[in-house]
Amino acid sequence: MALKDIKSKIKATERTHKVTRAMEAVSAVKMRKTQSTALAGRPYARAALAILARLSGSADIIRHPLAHAREVKKVALVILTSDKGLAGALNSGVIKAAAEYLGKLPVSSNNVTVYAYGKKGEEYFARRGYRVAHAYENKKDSVEPSVMEELVAELSREFAKETYDEVSVVYSNFKSTFEQLPAVRRLLPLSLPAVEQLVKDIVPVKGKWSELAVIESPAAYSVEPDGAGVLEYLVPRLVAISLYHFLLESKASEHSARMVAMKNASDKSEEVAHDLTRLFNKIRQAGITREVSEIVGGREALATQ
Amino acid sequence: MKTFHLTVARIGENLFDEEVVSVSLPGIEGTFQILAGHEPFVSLLTAGTVHIKNANGQGHSFETPKEGVAEISYSQATVLL
Repeated sequence: MALKDIKSKIKATERTHKVTRAMEAVSAVKMRKTQSTALAGRPYARAALAILARLSGSADIIRHPLAHAREVKKVALVILTSDKGLAGALNSGVIKAAAEYLGKLPVSSNNVTVYAYGKKGEEYFARRGYRVAHAYENKKDSVEPSVMEELVAELSREFAKETYDEVSVVYSNFKSTFEQLPAVRRLLPLSLPAVEQLVKDIVPVKGKWSELAVIESPAAYSVEPDGAGVLEYLVPRLVAISLYHFLLESKASEHSARMVAMKNASDKSEEVAHDLTRLFNKIRQAGITREVSEIVGGREALATQ
Repeated sequence: MKTFHLTVARIGENLFDEEVVSVSLPGIEGTFQILAGHEPFVSLLTAGTVHIKNANGQGHSFETPKEGVAEISYSQATVLL
């Protein structure tokens, strides 16, 4: 390779490095923001759950239309992926988990309806002939509560009408910056253990927000107007907050997966630039040495004449 | 004066999180006021205003949308809007 070529290659690698470094920094900021939003939602989920747990002694919750478990014949699957790539194995992991889950279901693919949030999931399921009821764009950096409300309203309505017997969500669970695991969770029918799991899940494994405060609740409440009225209010909201939380988790995962992918790319480009600089210096030095020996050789030849 | 911890939250957003002296809430069966040491209590809320007096004697208020729920236990209270 000519010296000039190597030089331009080094320049190009350095430029790539600048881009990936910038993307890494941007993703890091976005990740932190999403993580703090996820935690801001925690008091709500915790309090709603505490109230529900105390009231559920009355067994009213089982009778709520959104908590009513029945034989599963028709399934709705909500798949949360990103719109854009460059995020490592994030989307392929989620899609794989979704495909595995669907494979295990006792229903045929004709009875599965897909709600896709994010282009990657939509493309995958549309290509394989699944019915995609609704595809949402996942372009914004934050999660829009309006989208979440719309989706929850539709899913709850269809579940109550028995269009679906079960609604599950496949998303990427944010464990820490370096670890995101695809997860499948049941959204409807609502169950208390599922919501309890959710409140636990909101806390990342390690990092700034990893400490978990203990939930303390008194043994009995007086309730106004009555248990059923409070349940009527709380159950749809718990469904909404579950979905909202899944959306936030997958956002945080997307940003951190992208950050890690970009960090790897930056490190690699640094290494490549370093190796190329070595090569460049070696070739240049070889050229200089050759020229010197030519001059010396020429001088010697002149001297012996 | 005795205080208790009050959290006012909306889905995805924490509106208020401080020690307070008293809070008055628009309950579905009439407005009521909570002081420290209130018995455990859950109530649905209706449209109205939440008035808060914090430990320094400063007042805050929030408008509630058409519904909400409040949970009160001995040392803390949570209002979900």
